[in-house]
This record gives sequence, C-alpha cells and structure tokens, in this order.
Amino acid sequence: MGNVAIARGVVEAGCHVVTSYPGTPSSEIIPAVVEYKKELGLNTYIEWSANEKVAFDNALAASLTGKRAAVAMKQVGLNVASDSLMSSAYTGVIGGMVVISCDDPGPLSSQTEQDSRFFAMFAKVPAYDPATPQEAKEMVKEAFELSETYQIPVILRSTIKVSHAKQSVKISPVKVVDRQAGFKKDPERWAATPKYRLILHKKLNETLKKIRERFEQDSRWNYEVKASREASLGIITGSVSFAVLMDILEELSLRKDINILKIGTPFPLPQKRVAEFIERHKKVLVVEETDSVIETQITDKSKVLGRLTGHIPLQGELSPDVMYDILAKVLKELGIADLEKSGDDRLLKLIEDLNIDVRRPTLCAGCPERAAFFAIKKALPRAIYSSDIGCYTLGLNLKAVDTVLDMGAGITLASGFYHAYHQDENDIPIVATMGDSTFYHSGTASLLNAVYNKARFVLVIMDNEITAMTGMQPTPGSGITADGSKGEKVSLEELIKGCGVRWIKTIDPYDVENLVKLLKEARKYTQKRDGGIAVIVARHPCLIRYPDVSRENPVKVEINSACDGCQYCLDYFECPALYLNEEKDRVEIDRNLCVDCGVCIHACPKGAILPV
Amino acid sequence: MKVQVVLAGIGGQGILFSSKIFSELGLRLGLEVMGSETHGMSQRGGSVTAHLKLGKFESPLIRTGTADILYSFEERETYKTLKFLRRGGTCFVNLVSEDRFDNKILDHLKKKEIILRAYDASGAASKIGSILTANIMLIGYSVGTGLVPFKPGDLRYVLAAVSKKKDLEMNLKAFDTAVREGQSFLNPL
Repeated sequence: MGNVAIARGVVEAGCHVVTSYPGTPSSEIIPAVVEYKKELGLNTYIEWSANEKVAFDNALAASLTGKRAAVAMKQVGLNVASDSLMSSAYTGVIGGMVVISCDDPGPLSSQTEQDSRFFAMFAKVPAYDPATPQEAKEMVKEAFELSETYQIPVILRSTIKVSHAKQSVKISPVKVVDRQAGFKKDPERWAATPKYRLILHKKLNETLKKIRERFEQDSRWNYEVKASREASLGIITGSVSFAVLMDILEELSLRKDINILKIGTPFPLPQKRVAEFIERHKKVLVVEETDSVIETQITDKSKVLGRLTGHIPLQGELSPDVMYDILAKVLKELGIADLEKSGDDRLLKLIEDLNIDVRRPTLCAGCPERAAFFAIKKALPRAIYSSDIGCYTLGLNLKAVDTVLDMGAGITLASGFYHAYHQDENDIPIVATMGDSTFYHSGTASLLNAVYNKARFVLVIMDNEITAMTGMQPTPGSGITADGSKGEKVSLEELIKGCGVRWIKTIDPYDVENLVKLLKEARKYTQKRDGGIAVIVARHPCLIRYPDVSRENPVKVEINSACDGCQYCLDYFECPALYLNEEKDRVEIDRNLCVDCGVCIHACPKGAILPV
Repeated sequence: MKVQVVLAGIGGQGILFSSKIFSELGLRLGLEVMGSETHGMSQRGGSVTAHLKLGKFESPLIRTGTADILYSFEERETYKTLKFLRRGGTCFVNLVSEDRFDNKILDHLKKKEIILRAYDASGAASKIGSILTANIMLIGYSVGTGLVPFKPGDLRYVLAAVSKKKDLEMNLKAFDTAVREGQSFLNPL
C-alpha cells in the first residue's frame, strides 16, 4: 500500500521522529512506521498527536535539534497545521523535515478537495508529487535530503490513489543517521521579530530560486516520455494522473503520437524545462489533479489547454473514465484521433431502471452513538443540532445532525448560533455533538471560549474511547500511545471542568431512558438564570475496538406480533440488524449483526421490541 | 500476461483479503502488481471495491469496459460494477442462481459475450461451517470452472500463504470444496 511505502521511505531515510493526527487517506502511515520500528528494532519516536498543528510542531522541534522528522496528515489537516507551516518556511529547519499531506480528490472521505500543492506554493516550500507508491517511497528519501540541504520544510503531496494504491515495491536498506539532539540557540532566527522576518523572507525567496534550479536539472522525477514519431501534441502531467494517462495511451496505442512531460516537482515548477517543452509542440495539454498548480505557474499559456481553458473538469477525481473523455475531446479537437465513445450507455440505462437503492453508510449495529442520537431526538426534537467530523457525522441519517463544518465546529457553531438568536432575545434549544478524539483535537479552545462568552447550549460528547472513523487510533483519553505503550491518560471530565463548565454529567448512552431525562435537565440548566453550558459525556466503548467490554451486559431482544410493519424503527433508528421481512410485513432481527445492546426496545412506538 | 480484476461487495465480505490473494498471486506468477481499494466507510456497511492489475501497468485504476474478471460478493454491488467488464469478460457473482439476475441485463451481457456465473458462495460457506469464507469460495469456484486464467494450485498456494494460522484449515477446505464445485459445474456427470 502507498502509505506503507511512504512509511518505508521515512524509515529508510533514517528519520528519528514521526508524528501525525489520523485522517483518510493518511492514517496507515504511522501504524506502518510502528511496524518497521518493531521489526527492525529502531529507536524512532512515534506520536499520535492531539491535532495536526501539535504534530507539526513536535516534529519541527526535533528538526531544530538536528534530527530528521516527518509529520503526516490528510489534506484538511494541513489547514490546521498551516500556521506552523507558513512560519517555519521562513525560519527553516536544521534536520530534514518532511510534511506528508495526503489529498482526497473525489472527495471520498473529506470535506474539501483542496490541493496541498497550493499550500506548498502559498507557504513557499518545495513539493514532491509521486505517481506511484514506489515513487512516493523514493521521493520521501530525497525530500529529507533536499530539506537538509536547503534547510527548508518539504512537502510530499500524496493523493488517495497513491496512498491507497497497491504496488509491488522494491525496498532498500535502512539508513542509520546518527544524530544527538543539539539545539543551537539563535533567537534572531527561531524567535524572529517582524524586522528579521523580512530578512528571512528574502532568504526564503533565494532558497526557492536555488531549488527551482535544481528541479530544472532533475531528471529523476521530471522527465519526458517521448513519442516514436513527430508529435504535435504534448501533455504535461504528474501524480497519479500520469499513471492513469499512460495506461490509457498504451491501451489505445497512442503512445507513439504524443510526447509526455512528467513533472514530479510541481513547486517550484522547473519553468525553463516546461517552456522548452511547450515551445516544441503545437498544443500542450496540462493534466493534473486536483487543481491547476502546474498550469498556473506556466508563464506563456498561449498554447496551453487545461483546466483554465475548460478542457479539464474543475472538480472531482481524474479517474480513468474522466481522463478518457478529456483525451477524446482534445484529440478530436486537434484532429489527431477520433476515439470511440467510452462506456456502455445501454447497460447503464438498464441498471438505472432497476432503481437499486444507494447503500448509504450507517453506524454499526449496537453503536452507542446511535443510542445517544436517538435520545437527543427524543428529548429535544426541535433543537438545532451542530455536529462534527467522525463516525457520528452519520447521525445525519437519524436527522440529529444539522451542521458538519470541520474539526471542532460542533461547539463553535453552537456558541455562534446561541449568540445570533440570543441577540434577538430568542431562546432556542441547541445540541452540539462531538466525539472524544475531536474534542481533544480542537474542542477545548471552542468550549472555553463558549463558556467565557456566556453561550448556552447542551454539548454531548460521545466518548467511545478511540478515534473510530479513521481506523481505531488511540486518543489522550484512551491512555495508549502510538506504539501501543502506556501513556498518561487524560480525564475528559476534568478537561471539560477545566474549560469552566459547571454542569457535567456522565452516562452510558445505552441507558436511553435516563439519557433522555438528563438531556431535558441539561436543557433546563441552559435556561436557568445562573445556568450555562451543560455537558453530557455519553460514554460507551466502541464495539469494533473493544468487542468484549462494550458487550458486557447483553440484553437479548425479540420482536413480537405487535409489530405491524410500520417501519418507524427502520426510519428513525436505522440499525443494520433490523430489517423488513416483506413477505410477513414485519420487522425482524438479523442475528448475525445484532450485538444485544437492547437499545431498540426504545425505538418501537408499538412496544413490539421486548427483552427476551 | 495482463489481467485486470475488479472485486466488489460491502464491508465485512473480505474484499480486501481477496485483493491480497490476487496481489500475492501476481507476485508468485512473477507479474507486476498494481491495484487500489476504495473503502472509506466500509466498516459502516458501505460499498467496497478493489481493482487489481497484474502485468505491466502504470496506474492502479481500471477503466470502464476494460476489466477481464469481476468478482461480486453481493448482488446489488454487481449491478454497480458490471460496467467495468470488457466485451468477452467474465463475472462471478455470489448469488443462488443466474435466474435471480435481471433478464434484460443478462441478454445484454450475452450480446457482449460476457459470461456471468452465479454461485451461492454464502450458502456453500455456511454449509462447510464458516460464512466468512464465502469470498474464498467464489474465487475457488471461478478457478474450478476454468473460465479464468489462473491455476487452482497457484491460488491454493497463495491462499495458504496469506491466511492466518487459525483460519488456514477452514480457508483451504472452503477453497478445495469450491474448486470441485466449479469443476463439476463444467463437467456434470
């Protein structure tokens, strides 16, 4: 897998410190580094950090002591870490510092499709852009070397189709880089005031110029795949788009007619090479994912076709099908080839006629978050529900989630909603929901701000003691560190109390009846003269991560003849273990999926679901 | 040899394990392996698709209308992924019988010389005692029929290599049973 190859590159480069906050498609990097550490007996310090900025800074500090450091995150994580990225571009680094940012064109599992290469441009740091897992591994190693040579953080931009691609990868020996931590004080650099920042900015610009020169000479990542005969069309491309394009040209026997310039270092762009390539062709198509980073940097665009000329879609992944259509259009326009229409419309029509429901993701059978959402809907049906990023985003299906903006916004939007209504002297119920990992990530500043500014709402923290959505990474509350060793467990309740909250209750959400009561009490507290923000910690371990403790008190249920097939439970509870037996017109339980949580007893208005 | 395989199903059906079997198979046959998996929310019951490309390829993705083989572990997912098959491709679907499949689509596939074989892998897996081996049984069945360019012996070898120790015996039993059922389908007594 691409992320394992990236991890291997980090290890082969002799990296000393690796930090990360999980997020698709980057989450597999840290576990793979942990595996290599164990397998090879390395002394690597590996950290799941509380958030991406925290991860960035921890890695950066190691670099300032002369060690090699890497930080990995998903593309929107780089937004969180961007403050540090921008500043460290000026101050620079000592030991090699590689920032791995994994993009999600599509998007398949993210709130935006943003292109991390633009962050490289924005921060003025170089970026490598691999096309395959093998290349990603090699680029990581070179990125460390480049970073050390020019004392600048370097971005490795991966995309989901590199990070999650499978490829047989050739591995190399692990380099031992012997470094003792030795931070050399230099306040004019590490604590630069604005006056010195101007000087640092000038130095950064000079460094970038040198790196651009180096990339002009580079032939390892920037190279031409030549057509066998005179070609009027050239294509400039990089990342997985290069690979997709090559396969299609091969399949259509078009390799002989088109020259390809593959760019692996999109920023700073080797502009001379690109200009020279464009010069030799009648037209040049620029195909890149997800945004127009190469295209934007081309100075003379008179021969260029790309996103800016409407030849490439402005959004979405450049899948082989999309790539095919782009090629077909361009080749036809230029009179080079007339490709057959792709796809089988008749088949698609026949399938459309079947009206197959789209299978939407849903919370697992027995998920404690479903229980909490069900109770919230029952206790405060007319509230505004601000929620957040995690499994519990799927509370959408239960109509108990109205907003999902970004990490931490469940609380900030709740306080914002409160003030907007309160200003008009309107009192409305607001219920914010957030998972434990998200709360540690960015909940505290939001919460203490809300307390301090006298906002009032109910906050339900769904504590399943793990970062479930991204694949079961530990949290500060689970007290386990990245390599599985024991950490210092942080108390969620104390943290909430520390934010200034005076009303905090903890409950197991499986106890729906009492949770409903508690939610109503919490709401009353937000309305009391001397009230404030009420926080409920709904704690029940994740069923996937903790299959034993989460099922300690089974409540086996059955559905009796009072079930009239009204499907209320299917629509408003949506447990995958409940299904409609169409022949009998009754809901039944799929015993393969049911975990005996007993929560659905509360989900039947007819009282047909009862404990055995 | 160049072979492109699509595996489709839902979370929990062992798509990723199946994909591992084929990547190991590629390595055993001395072929380059490329592939990708889409499984953002698979644990929450979403669709899972894996693309596997054995031979000389650059990208991990398969284009519509170019796959040689489609394994579908779930009926509805078959409809969503049929588009990947090329003319003359082969589809194995975990389904009680081909009759259960939409007739118009079957006719259309016939016109495109696409072979669709239904095999009740879930039923067969339950019968031998582990529903979790349905994926292995569908693959085993396919090699039994001789409709795919892989040898049972090679697949059995890689299956043994990638199976966890505790599952090994059951996995091989599932595989062997399904290979026999695939063979007997072709040569009924």
